[in-house]
Amino acid sequence: MNLSKCSKKLKKRFGDAVTLSLENQSVVLRGHLATWAQVIEACQSVAEKNSAIHVVNDITCDEQTETPMRVPGFTDNTVDGAAPDVLVIGGGISGASIARELTKWKLDVLLVEKEADLALQASGRNDGEVHPGIDLGKGSLKHRYIRRANRMFGDVCSELDVEFHRIGQYVLFQNNALKPLIGLYCLWRKYHDGIEDTKLISGSQLRAQEPHLQPGTKFAIWNPSAGVVCPYGLTIAYAENAVQNGAKVSLHTAVLDMDVKNGEICSVKTNRGTIFPKLVINAAGVFAEDVAAMAQDRFFSIHPRRGTNSITDKKTGAFLHSIATVKELSVHGKNHSKGGGTMRTAHGNLLVGPDAVETFEKENTATNRESIATVFKKQKITMPDLSEHDIITYFTGVRAPTFEEDYIIERGRRTTNLIHCAGIQSPGLTTAPAVAEDVAQMAVDFLKEKQTVEQNQAFNPIRKGVPVLRKMSDEQREEMIRKNPDYGVIICRCEEISKGEILDALHAPICVPTVDGIKKRVRPGMGRCQGGFCSPLVTKIIADFLDEPLSAVRKSSPASVITYGKTKQNEGGRDA
Amino acid sequence: MKNESYDVVVIGGGPAGLAAAISAHDSGAKVLLLEREARLGGILKQCIHDGFGLIRFGEKLSGPEYAERYIDEFHARQIAAVTLTFVTKIEKTGSGFTVHTVSRNGVARYRAAALVLATGCRERTAKQVFIHGTRPAGVFTAGTAQHFTNLLGELPTKRCVILGSGDIGLIMARRLTLEGAEVLGVYEAKPTPSGLTRNLHQCLYDYDIPLYLSHTVTRVFGTDRLESVEISEVDEHMTPIPGTEQRLDCDALILSVGLIPENELAESLGVKLDPKTKGPVCDGQNMTSVDGVFSCGNALHVNDLVDYVSENAAVAGAAAAAYKPQKRKPVEIHISDTLLYMVPQQLDLARNNNKTAVYFRARGDYNNSRLALTVDGKEVFSRRYAFLRPPEMEKLELDFDGMGLTETSDVQFKLEPQTEKG
Repeated sequence: MNLSKCSKKLKKRFGDAVTLSLENQSVVLRGHLATWAQVIEACQSVAEKNSAIHVVNDITCDEQTETPMRVPGFTDNTVDGAAPDVLVIGGGISGASIARELTKWKLDVLLVEKEADLALQASGRNDGEVHPGIDLGKGSLKHRYIRRANRMFGDVCSELDVEFHRIGQYVLFQNNALKPLIGLYCLWRKYHDGIEDTKLISGSQLRAQEPHLQPGTKFAIWNPSAGVVCPYGLTIAYAENAVQNGAKVSLHTAVLDMDVKNGEICSVKTNRGTIFPKLVINAAGVFAEDVAAMAQDRFFSIHPRRGTNSITDKKTGAFLHSIATVKELSVHGKNHSKGGGTMRTAHGNLLVGPDAVETFEKENTATNRESIATVFKKQKITMPDLSEHDIITYFTGVRAPTFEEDYIIERGRRTTNLIHCAGIQSPGLTTAPAVAEDVAQMAVDFLKEKQTVEQNQAFNPIRKGVPVLRKMSDEQREEMIRKNPDYGVIICRCEEISKGEILDALHAPICVPTVDGIKKRVRPGMGRCQGGFCSPLVTKIIADFLDEPLSAVRKSSPASVITYGKTKQNEGGRDA
Repeated sequence: MKNESYDVVVIGGGPAGLAAAISAHDSGAKVLLLEREARLGGILKQCIHDGFGLIRFGEKLSGPEYAERYIDEFHARQIAAVTLTFVTKIEKTGSGFTVHTVSRNGVARYRAAALVLATGCRERTAKQVFIHGTRPAGVFTAGTAQHFTNLLGELPTKRCVILGSGDIGLIMARRLTLEGAEVLGVYEAKPTPSGLTRNLHQCLYDYDIPLYLSHTVTRVFGTDRLESVEISEVDEHMTPIPGTEQRLDCDALILSVGLIPENELAESLGVKLDPKTKGPVCDGQNMTSVDGVFSCGNALHVNDLVDYVSENAAVAGAAAAAYKPQKRKPVEIHISDTLLYMVPQQLDLARNNNKTAVYFRARGDYNNSRLALTVDGKEVFSRRYAFLRPPEMEKLELDFDGMGLTETSDVQFKLEPQTEKG
């Protein structure tokens, strides 16, 4: 890192508004700028790829309003006094997979998640692509993990009973003149970067496989190792398997502060009590920087980046069997977040997106008309038959990149009993299985310095999900219904989900008895009517399961009230 | 695994399915009715307001009362029915169909020579009208709010905004007001209301609930429960006008923004749909493009009154009972742009068309308009209408057999508006 060169660059662009200094092996930027876009520009301009010296952003800006982290609206002492060997902060794909890998050892593992369910932020709000790594070069952590993790997916998803399809990915090109260049690019990726199965195919070969894709396509890169997985399904499955093997998961549990003495985290304060962990793993996504700061180990910054995806009706699923993107050749490699295409999801819908918008709001997942318009405009190039009218839902997630656009997977630099798993963005879902193995090993190595850590001989890698009746043959289904007649009562007509499947989800190792919790696990409300018909029925099933009145059931968080109690309460609940 | 054979299998036990099954039975067929819910009656079960049956019975009935009359008739005939039974797929087998179902009793297969699809319709959702913002609790379609209120006895809102002036929205505005909720207003993106005139009076004006035309909800706010909505005025293309936004605090947004005929089963059989109605293209006997598959009620097109649903379903039931494979002699019915749609879309000249019911809606609000039917350019029928509105469906009964139609005839319905109201 050439500090004086960076300083000059900043001065030239921003005058004296921004200063730069090297502190504790980080480049710290201070000052004040008008817009968030300028803050991003300043930080990106000094960030160095594959460097261990990270940019820390302390620039203030006119646009930025301080929104405190959303925390559960209640306190209790559920986890008070807990003294786990490992405290995992964050119930996204990173935290859940790490927790599961840790249960291969005889360790007391506690995972805390501030939201009402697992995978409620980035891990539940992405496209579910299992990336082949075609756009990753040697030197980055992303590249170090991508191929190993990609190869693990089949086994991991079969152990955890999660839907995964290796459907392959096409990158489409409209200009034949690029073919020699892209051909060389593929060879470089193949032999230099280890993307061994990538290859070029012709436009006609592509059309034979995917007739609905852009007819003007001249040639395409074909990456057969790409796949799709249900991202929240995988996260939940990892967490459930962790719980089966002895880990504890505490939802609605936000880390609020830490007591750090002599470079060691002594205690972690949450809204549900104080925890005294031997080791803390920071898998807090967009809040990883905040957690690092609490642990007095902030040496990187996260700059949130929003992305919106649309899901279309399953009828459009017939348009595509794979993942397809059009490559717009940008001279500057600024396109950091991978993805952005059209794909057939693990559940057979089409997914279109995402876009990438820098934002200072870590938790603003509100959708905008413009995002959908932008994404559709781009993806109609890939697939001319796409129509906004086929959209059944859309959602926004916030990525958690560092300015170096790479992961931070390492022990704390100043705080000893801390491991960061931060800066996890695309392809973070893909790399999770391999990253989790390494982080768990790092944790075990750390703990072994202080205690004996034995392998958990009773570890069971197999987690059985809720059976999916609609995929069974008539004979299998008959057999299932004979054992449990509730499997024959269809509650969600669009996705064909039975009462039995909903009750199974309520009896799973991690019970999230909310309408959204059930929707994430077994899909009622994921179809074209978006819960119009089934949401009252699902609410009723949950109320009966909880033995509570209907008005006690929530959509997701404790404040997400669905109904306000009996009608005409003042008149004794008389029907009008 | 149960395996039974019937002449006619009716799918759906709402008003259309009940009327079709009764009519098919009365025509001598062995009939089975399949219903996915626990009780017959369909959506009428939750429509506890009155106004049903004025045409059919000459009296004002509530939804459940109207349904009960048909359910009684249905049971009096001892027609076979299975409830809590869901059709998973239909296969074309030999000269008929095999309907696969699941229920608490397991998997069953029913053979049918003819099928009547009476699968009703579903509501358009918030995402289908591109409502943006957060995803809090408190965004309901009107039918879902009605289910909570009328079937489960639970109040879904204390203070709400209703988007869309469709009939269910208007009915729910009144219903929620009666339950003590505050309805801030009904907002309609179109410049004219979407619901029946009588509902505008009986549900809104009588309760001082304001109706705002050319307004829509552009955004919702609130992380847990809905906290407010943003309302914007829209231009003539229904695009929000920047600068007209206003925020309204409320705990619910209730949507009545249109109904879509449910035809996923029909599509799986290869039935051709009419983009105008979103229902199957049918002939005067309600037969779809697939021989032996009949459609009726709101699955065929969204009706304004249940009375028409029953009447039209009876035609489908009788035709399904009489169904025998034979070569069709189809002739298309063409309509002018001033008509939103017309059902049937074609006639089968190999069948009787001497008393064919024709249903249509005008595209705009027309005063003193004239509907003319021409065959090969020659006018064979005309009628004047003092007042037509898109929400009010119109019905005609025509004798096509007397018109000398052939498969190559050019059959055109033209609606000529004399004066068009803005």
